[in-house]
Amino acid sequence: MKKFSNFYIGLILFLLFAPIAVMIFFSFNEGKSTAVFTGFSLKWYMELLKSSEMLNALKNSLILAIASSMIATVIGTMAAFGIHRMKNKYTRQSIMTVTNIPIMNPEIITGISLMFLFVFVGGLLGLTTKLNFWTMLIAHVTFCLPYVILNVLPKFKQMPNALPEAAMDLGCTPFQAFFKVQLPAIMPGVITGLIMSFTLSLDDFVISYFTSGTDFQTLPVLIYSMTKKSVKPTIYALSTIVFIIILILLLISNREKSSYERLEAKKAKAEKKRQEAIKNAKKAAAQKTKVKVTAPKAPKRHTVSPKLTKIIALVCTLAIIVTFCVVLNIASKETVTLNVYNWGEYISDGSDDSLDVNKAFEDYCKNTLGINAKVNYVTYTSNEDLYAKLSTEAVSYDVIIPSDYMIARLASEGLLQELNFDNIPNYELCIDDSFKGLYYDPDNKYSVPYTYGMVGVIYDANVVDEDDVGDWDLMWNEKYKGEILQFNNARDAFGTAFYKLGLDVNTTDTKMWDAGLAELQKQTPLLYKRVMDEVYNMMETGEASIAAYYAGDYLTMVENQADNIDLQFYYPENTNLFVDAMCIPSCAQNKELAEEYINFMLSEEAAIANAEYICYASPNKLVYESEVYKEDMGEDAFDILYPTDFDFADKYDANCYKDLDKKTKEYINSLWNRLTITS
Amino acid sequence: MTHSSKTRKSNMSLLQRYAAAPHIVWSVLFIIVPLIFVGYYAFTDVSTGEFTFSNISAFFTKEYLLIFGKSVKLALIATAICLVLGYPIAYFMTNCKPKTQRLLMILIMLPIWMNFLIRTYALMTLLQDTGIINTFLSKLGLPTMHILGTETAVVIGMVYDYLPYMILPIYSVMSKMDHRLVEAASDLGCNSFGVIRKVIFPLSLSGVISGITMVFVPSISTFYISQKLGGVDTLLIGDAIEQHYTAANYNMTASLSFVLMLILIVGLAIVNHYTDSDEGGGMLI
Repeated sequence: MKKFSNFYIGLILFLLFAPIAVMIFFSFNEGKSTAVFTGFSLKWYMELLKSSEMLNALKNSLILAIASSMIATVIGTMAAFGIHRMKNKYTRQSIMTVTNIPIMNPEIITGISLMFLFVFVGGLLGLTTKLNFWTMLIAHVTFCLPYVILNVLPKFKQMPNALPEAAMDLGCTPFQAFFKVQLPAIMPGVITGLIMSFTLSLDDFVISYFTSGTDFQTLPVLIYSMTKKSVKPTIYALSTIVFIIILILLLISNREKSSYERLEAKKAKAEKKRQEAIKNAKKAAAQKTKVKVTAPKAPKRHTVSPKLTKIIALVCTLAIIVTFCVVLNIASKETVTLNVYNWGEYISDGSDDSLDVNKAFEDYCKNTLGINAKVNYVTYTSNEDLYAKLSTEAVSYDVIIPSDYMIARLASEGLLQELNFDNIPNYELCIDDSFKGLYYDPDNKYSVPYTYGMVGVIYDANVVDEDDVGDWDLMWNEKYKGEILQFNNARDAFGTAFYKLGLDVNTTDTKMWDAGLAELQKQTPLLYKRVMDEVYNMMETGEASIAAYYAGDYLTMVENQADNIDLQFYYPENTNLFVDAMCIPSCAQNKELAEEYINFMLSEEAAIANAEYICYASPNKLVYESEVYKEDMGEDAFDILYPTDFDFADKYDANCYKDLDKKTKEYINSLWNRLTITS
Repeated sequence: MTHSSKTRKSNMSLLQRYAAAPHIVWSVLFIIVPLIFVGYYAFTDVSTGEFTFSNISAFFTKEYLLIFGKSVKLALIATAICLVLGYPIAYFMTNCKPKTQRLLMILIMLPIWMNFLIRTYALMTLLQDTGIINTFLSKLGLPTMHILGTETAVVIGMVYDYLPYMILPIYSVMSKMDHRLVEAASDLGCNSFGVIRKVIFPLSLSGVISGITMVFVPSISTFYISQKLGGVDTLLIGDAIEQHYTAANYNMTASLSFVLMLILIVGLAIVNHYTDSDEGGGMLI
């Protein structure tokens, strides 16, 4: 039995730790992949130290966890004190029921309900940024409170009521009685509550996801947006460090406990002997009479070693001071923050020795303009995501980079500001006329093109027959069941079906959209999954073999593909052309700096760095006419990105996605829901 | 003397009366009011502000009932597996030396303290067709398994992420159990199976109940696990809520949340009816 139980415990622990072991293992991977190990290196740890985005998120998480756990502990301890002394049973019970709601309720509902409140109140107060540090703080305190109360309340119950009264009879004031008599007795519960709140807050994703704005992003929220694209081992490196820190902390507190327990054990020994005698006597009695015996509860003692208390007190004091300073720092910010909202992996970020464009802009502001600017860079995963955030006005951005049809929609709904091109002199200099006056911005008022490209089909030549490639039918080929990836957004997914059927992608005829739906439903059983940026990882490792995606991303995949994968690419006859352009939304708070930023993005160094990093075609003359750029990209890649066999403006107008009327959009949405939900 | 002690005591009662006040105010503002908002958005049309049942009735269509059924099914399976895997662990742990028990506690809690997004992602790299498990299997010449993208993968993810939440409450109840009772039972002629069935299990029931709630509630409302590990046909109620949220459709977000909450409240009330809960005390580690 003993052997089996040891084996079983070992097995479960193995299963619990296997993914963590994988994570630690791949944090030392030399390559970019989190699935194929290519060699040992500490590269990702170095990269982590350089990644201001992640370190900043870590800092934010710590600030939030310290502040919210402190506040929750103070309010919660007071509440436990009050609840314990409440005489009316029903009041007490109803308060406890409400207290328990955040524990019993699914996190997603707690998060959403708080988000509703914040957005509503923010709207009443006319705030431009409705979700920020303070809303997250409130949310975190709210879900930490019950844990504090549930840990402290039992300690009050264990303490005889006569104790504080005795203290007061001996001359203590009520406050002294509380601090000198009651507090030490409940301290273990308070500390457990504090630690639990801290870790819960540090690790919380779901509630933070719904209540976080742009200017304060915590680590879990950042990780979420990062795991939507191809995950770099940098996250693994960070988690490994966190893992080791937690492990050490737990082991230390465990040792501290056990040394204290050795002392206690001696005292307990004598008591135990006595108890045993009683037990034996009772056992004998029970055997005779066959009467169930309920043993008296053994006396329990909960204390914390004095040394530990001191350490904790010190840590708490330090934490309070740090929090205070930081909160003050947040409140009185001297630097100007520029909120930039962009697609994931859509800017050169300094990894792999590339230029960190945002940092370069900060330096430029400091050295040339004499402004202390900070770029707060946030990513989204779809145009609809961006629209949702902008239309609810929950957050404010200064620069956004949506796609064409979304620009048209935002402009028509008054969500964009006209640009002042006097502040963007590079526009005339760099942007070719063929990228001006396009459908989404006919008068060139709102946007400066950033990238453009076409959708194509990517396939693994080791799996897919050469005879099957060439058109959209490959995505519907029964031969490759379970190997196909489709877009996880309505417009692009319907696009593939429409091009396959030879229909107009901008039709407002609902019958056409029904036909598109039928085609997509036909495809569903063949699909592996509907994905957006997860496509990188799945294609690079050979997890799936066929995907429709953007040409630029194909080039990134080829760079990272595993050894046994041979990714190829083609443009079907009819396919989507798109332009992503920089705009300034109407909620922007720093319009001039935003224009400065757009201008900076057009400058040669930044534009080439971005184009090489993103691998999308650039509408910037300084980029596509640069010999250095051409050489860096390689001829094949250049030919894919800049096909010469057609005139861009002509083909664009026929094949771009246009903003449709509200009714059609709603219709498409309902079809999309039906497709994704019932499949 | 008597006089001063009386005023002190009345001071004390004043202190007591208001000690819970900040918490009560906080709870009303940030727990009750937000839930009222969920109800409000569930029963009104955001654009017009008029009262309507259409959001709620949208839930009772085939599509949503299907996802809801699937969510319940997967969450139940995951909870059952967690119970079957976790209960013996908790029991075996109580039989270890105190020092080993503490170490095991740490080891079981450790994964919870890692970010669950990363754990789930790491699980994904393990399960995928070209992942570590399948590479290993094919190197041994065994047939590979297609797991990622199926319901099985989602259940595995739920079990993996929430198993510690099953073990900890059961263990905490069991470790407080009086071992003399077990001895008494076996002395009275009970075999070891009988001891487990008649003594240990009934006594650990409160831990089992909290374990079940602590696994079931996050499982049924998850959206990350199904997003990462699931495929085209594993959309859960949490995904639907999140999908409506990202599409800024507050009405559907609210109505789905509202129905989910209502059903869980009824479920928990039934569970609580059959167990005597002492102000949720058994919940915690």
